[in-house]
Amino acid sequence: MRTDTVIRTALGAVGVGFGLWGVWLMRDFSFEQLLSTGIWLAGGILLHDAVLAPLTVALGVAASRLLPGHYRAATGLAFLVWATLTITFIPVLSGQGGKPDNDTLLDQPYLISWLVLTGVLAGAAVIAAQRRKRRVTRPADADAG
Amino acid sequence: MRLPTVEDIEKRIPRPETFTSQSRGTRLTTRVGTALGIAFLICFLTGLWSHFQYDPPSWLPIGPDPTQLYRITQGTHVISGTAAVPLLLVKLWSVFPRLFARPHDTTKRGLLLESLERASIGALVGSSVFMLASGLLNIVQWYPWDFSFRRTHEAVAWIAIGSLLVHIAVKLPVIRRAFAAPIDEPGDSDEAIARASDTTASDTPLEDQPDSAGRRAVLVGTFASAGLAVLLTAGQTVPFLRKVSVFAVRDGDGPQDLPINRTARSAGATASALDPAFVLEVVGADGTVISLDREQLKAMPQQTHRLPIACVEGWSRNATWTGVPVRDIIALTGADPRSDVKVRSMQTRGAFATSELPAVFVEDDRTMLALELNGQALSLDHGYPCRIIAPNRPGVLQTKWVRRLEVRA
Repeated sequence: MRTDTVIRTALGAVGVGFGLWGVWLMRDFSFEQLLSTGIWLAGGILLHDAVLAPLTVALGVAASRLLPGHYRAATGLAFLVWATLTITFIPVLSGQGGKPDNDTLLDQPYLISWLVLTGVLAGAAVIAAQRRKRRVTRPADADAG
Repeated sequence: MRLPTVEDIEKRIPRPETFTSQSRGTRLTTRVGTALGIAFLICFLTGLWSHFQYDPPSWLPIGPDPTQLYRITQGTHVISGTAAVPLLLVKLWSVFPRLFARPHDTTKRGLLLESLERASIGALVGSSVFMLASGLLNIVQWYPWDFSFRRTHEAVAWIAIGSLLVHIAVKLPVIRRAFAAPIDEPGDSDEAIARASDTTASDTPLEDQPDSAGRRAVLVGTFASAGLAVLLTAGQTVPFLRKVSVFAVRDGDGPQDLPINRTARSAGATASALDPAFVLEVVGADGTVISLDREQLKAMPQQTHRLPIACVEGWSRNATWTGVPVRDIIALTGADPRSDVKVRSMQTRGAFATSELPAVFVEDDRTMLALELNGQALSLDHGYPCRIIAPNRPGVLQTKWVRRLEVRA
C-alpha cells in the first residue's frame, strides 16, 4: 500500500472510533435528553442549509443586480465580517441568559456596540467602493500620482 | 396540464454549476478549513483537559502548579471556540454548492461510498454547529435544551473530532492539491467550478467577474472576522483587552472587583450564611469533630495570596485572598496535611454543593479557607462567611459558603 493510503485509512479508522466513543458516552441518556440532543444536531444543519445559506445566496444575487459594480467586492467583504460577527454575538445580543439577581454578567451595552459595528462596516464599504470607482474610472490619475 | 415528473423537479433543484460566484473555490475552502481544524483541535484538547480538572483521573495527578494553568486552558478553549464561529460560517458558505452535487459514480459501490461520505459530512456539520452553539449559549448561562450541557458537549465533541478526521482522510488529496497552488490564480482545482466554466461561462456576464471579491480578499476578511471576534470578547479573561472587549459576557467588574457566577440567593444559601450562630464544623480522619466560629478562624495565623477565579465559561480574574490554610484547620483534629478533604457548602440549590480537595492541594498552604477578598471581608455573594480558594482549580470547585470540612480516612 502507498503511504498516502495508509495515512488516510488510519485517519478514517481513528475518526470512526472517536465518533463511536462519542455515541457510547450518551448510552445512559434518557429519551428526553437524546431527543433534545438530536433536535439540536439536526436543527444546526437545517438552520444553515435551509435558512442561512439560501438567504446569503439570495442577498448575493440581489446585490449583484442592484449595486453598481464597484460596490460589489466592498459590500461582499463588509457583509462577510458583519454577518459572521453578528451570529457570533447573538447570545449576548439576545437578552436571554444570565440571572436577574446577578449583574456581573451580560453587563455591557451590547446593542449600542453592535450598531456602532454595523455603522463602521457600512462606512468602510462605502469608502472602499468609492476608492475603487476612482481607480477604475481614472486610471491615468493613479499612474500619474 | 400534466403533473411534474421526477425529472422536472430534478431540473429545478440547483446544481453546483448554478452558483457562479468566483469567490468560492477549493483553495479558499482548504485554507479556511485548515484554520478551522486547528481551532477545533485546540478546543478539543483544552476541553478534555477541563474534564480532567473537574474529575482528575488517577493516572494524571493535577496539582496546584502552575497556578494559572486552568485559567489559561479554559480561556483558550472559549477564545478558540469563538474564533471558530466565523471560520465555520465561511467554510460552510464556500462549499454550499457541493450540497447540490449529483452522484458522479452511479454504480452500487459508488453510491454507497458517496452516501457514507455524505453521512460523515452530515455528522461533521451537525456536531460542529452543535458544539459552537451550545458553547456560546453556555457562557451566557442560557440553557434552552433538555440535556446536560457538560456531558453532551463532551460526547458530541468526540463525534465532531471523529467526523473531522474522516473528512480529512477523504479530502487529503484535494487538500494537498489546493495548498500546492496560490489562492488567487484563476482556475481553481474544484471540479465543480471547472465544469461550471465549460457549461455556463457564456451565461455569466463577464464584466461582473472582476467586481466580486477575490478569494484572497475573502480569506483575509475571514481571518479578520475571526480575529475581531476574539478581540471583542477575550477581555473577560485577558486583562489588557478588558476595555476593548465590548461584546464580552463579563467586563470583569463586580462587588469587591470580582465577577460572580452564582449569587447566594440563587444557591439558596442566604439564610444560613447570614446566621450569626454560624460555626464551621471540621471532622477529623478519626471522627473527631471540632467547631470554629468566624472569630476563631480570624484568630488563626492568616495568609494572603493572589489567585485567580477561573470559570468554565471562559472568564477569569486574579484577586487577593486572605484566610487560613486548610491544612492548618484540619491539623486541629490531628489529621495529616496530606489528606483528601471533602468540602460541604450551605447552598441548598444547584450543582457542586460539595467538592473534593485532593491531598496534593490540601498540603499546599495556598489552599485556603478565605475570609477576605481584596482587603475586605468576603461579601455574601463571594461566599461569606468563608469559602475555599485554591490554585489551579475550576471556579465551581472553589466552594462558597463553606459549613463543613471532612477529612477522608
